[in-house]
Amino acid sequence: MPNTLKLTVSHAPFWHNGSSISSKSRNILLASLLAVVPGCYQYGMAAVGVVTMSIASAIIWELLINFISRRPISVGDGNAALIGMIFAMMLPATTPWWAVVTGTFFAVVIAKEIFGGIGANPFNPAVLAMTILMLSWGNLFDFNAALLNYSFNFKAVYPLVLSKSFGAHAVEPFALMDLLLGKQIGGIGSTCGIGLILGGVYLILRGFIRWEVCFSFLAGIIIAALCFNILNPELYAGPGFHLLTGYTMIGAFFLATEDSSSPVNFIPMLIYGFLGGALTILIRNIGTHIDGVLYAILIINLVNPLLDKIRPKAIGKGV
Amino acid sequence: MIKRSFFGLVKPKLQYEIIDDAQPEPVNINASEKIMLYIDQPYENKANSLLKIGDQVKNGQKIEVVKDADAYMLSSKSGQISNISSFVGFMEKKLTAVTIDIDDQANQLLDDSFKDVYKTPSMENAKDLLSGLPGKPDFDVFFHPDKPIKSIVVLGVDGDLLTTTNQWFIKNGIISVKTGIDLLRKITGIHDIILIVPQHLAQVAGSAGATVKTVDSEYPAAHPQLIIRHILADKNLGGNDIASNSGIAFFSAEAVSAIGAAYKTGQIPLDKIVTFISKDGNKQLVSVPIGTPLQDILSQLNESLNDGDRVIFGGPMTGVAVYSPDFPVMPDTDAIIIQDKSQVVERADVACINCGECVRVCPANIQINQLIRFLEAGQYEEAADQYDLFSCIECGFCSFVCESRIPVFQHIKLAKHTLESMNAAEENNA
Repeated sequence: MPNTLKLTVSHAPFWHNGSSISSKSRNILLASLLAVVPGCYQYGMAAVGVVTMSIASAIIWELLINFISRRPISVGDGNAALIGMIFAMMLPATTPWWAVVTGTFFAVVIAKEIFGGIGANPFNPAVLAMTILMLSWGNLFDFNAALLNYSFNFKAVYPLVLSKSFGAHAVEPFALMDLLLGKQIGGIGSTCGIGLILGGVYLILRGFIRWEVCFSFLAGIIIAALCFNILNPELYAGPGFHLLTGYTMIGAFFLATEDSSSPVNFIPMLIYGFLGGALTILIRNIGTHIDGVLYAILIINLVNPLLDKIRPKAIGKGV
Repeated sequence: MIKRSFFGLVKPKLQYEIIDDAQPEPVNINASEKIMLYIDQPYENKANSLLKIGDQVKNGQKIEVVKDADAYMLSSKSGQISNISSFVGFMEKKLTAVTIDIDDQANQLLDDSFKDVYKTPSMENAKDLLSGLPGKPDFDVFFHPDKPIKSIVVLGVDGDLLTTTNQWFIKNGIISVKTGIDLLRKITGIHDIILIVPQHLAQVAGSAGATVKTVDSEYPAAHPQLIIRHILADKNLGGNDIASNSGIAFFSAEAVSAIGAAYKTGQIPLDKIVTFISKDGNKQLVSVPIGTPLQDILSQLNESLNDGDRVIFGGPMTGVAVYSPDFPVMPDTDAIIIQDKSQVVERADVACINCGECVRVCPANIQINQLIRFLEAGQYEEAADQYDLFSCIECGFCSFVCESRIPVFQHIKLAKHTLESMNAAEENNA
């Protein structure tokens, strides 16, 4: 009698630790809510609209590109939703719908899919999209103008504009505690420092992002800002201010840590993060742009492959 | 199955199995009707073959396909050869499968070619008659004058997780291991014999008459190449040589114990100790004649198989899944694992997301995130030249942690196999 039992045959190892891309995306989405929910509370339904629009359109773009390129449907891994979420976190709550949709198009299609999909993107998709949008429609991202119609119980001026235009003493009224608690204007999910820190710490502890990148990024910010501050305290604000304004926190925990565009070895991760932090301060203090985080991250994304050449010797190779 | 810990900041850790203090004696399993032997020799020229269907073989008889071949098996039962066929094993390995219908337990005939020589132990008769012992001792390494062996390492540790076979020999059979070590010393003339054991067995191992070294309980510390690198670093092996030319011969505790028993009694032990892990995760040691089909073990242990289950010969990290319950126990089958369909984790063909988990767990420091890109594209030569393909020690850790669930280990093995067969073909044509 022929044996009809059909066993599963596969290659070793026969165990897996159960991790998956979708669980990683899910956890990062969850952590980002810690910053997005306070943002939505602050800016109301407009912010909710931008966030949902961004996530939905990112998923749809990915679905479309799946169909066009006849590839397996990949929206299930949650990466598109994650890109949409992170992109929305950087937007002001008043961003028009077409800008959101265009942005997610750049993020998902241009920055990720045409390079070969997940894992193949040389730049962080959300950062690249945001930069393209900022260069194309700069006035949309002038936070002072964008959030003009809101009334807040705190000083509604984008802090980095003040420090850029009027020097360090202009930002003295900002108490660091207020900045940490998100009492400043900015992107929907990028102002609530405490939420971003908690989310980031959660992701570090769970091992979804690498502490080396986050900490060295923050260290780069602190050290570079401190240098400028010591050099000319009148003109350049201190490290605390730079840590808690603009996209610093979201940059350290959510943008610079993106897998595909960041290194995997220990020393490269430290250099990568530190370089990002230091460049941010350089651009903010002596560059022409108001915030330097996005450009800094694009530049460190660019040097990432070079950095990862610094690697330990494999066993059996040389002495 | 060991899941990722909730806190993923630290590197994942897999602990080797530690044998229970109250380990029950191995359960004896008997082959019911037939045994099957896979001989590592292609079955090409039937006229030339020493084997004929209908031949009578005896218990302990050497079964070889052609005269004076290096590869042979020892029949663990007497009986009649009922079938000979060629069989393609793992990674295109060409084998000869010999099926033997066994005689009744009462009418077992013993082969006495070893009886004639066992009083004068020597390398030659060990190579000639004992390579098929349980634990698969490799005597060939002593016959390469250009690569002299300086030390012998006896592995009282198990190479893979869940397995306790070699530990059992240290714990319950240290005396026979000692006999084997003494014999190895005598026939090889090598005095430097090192016994590697897990920490909890260091006390017991002390009486074996060899230098005792302990290994960490964390996978893959007991891997031979890592033992060379970390534990035997003082051996001055000329840098980072790999095992084959490092002057070290590896024997498992089971093989050493079997060598000792064979020369002591003149009778070749052919029962293999196997760690059997059932679907519900119960572990027990079983003692089975080499060549016994899995089905016999299953039916005597009341374990059933259903469609979609997975049967693994070897440990969970480096074993081989088989497709049929007729597959026999081999001399180096240390463990058999039955996995229920629900425990099978599907692999995927998603691209690498560059998370770097594999790079951080790799004991050989290979840049797997880069390597896998070359392997997926089939660029094996570049992978070997630039990304250290051949540094891989084949522990399987990379596939275990892969977030994209890429079968990294399979890619690596396939690449190595392809390159090696290409090189072999080139040498043949030259």
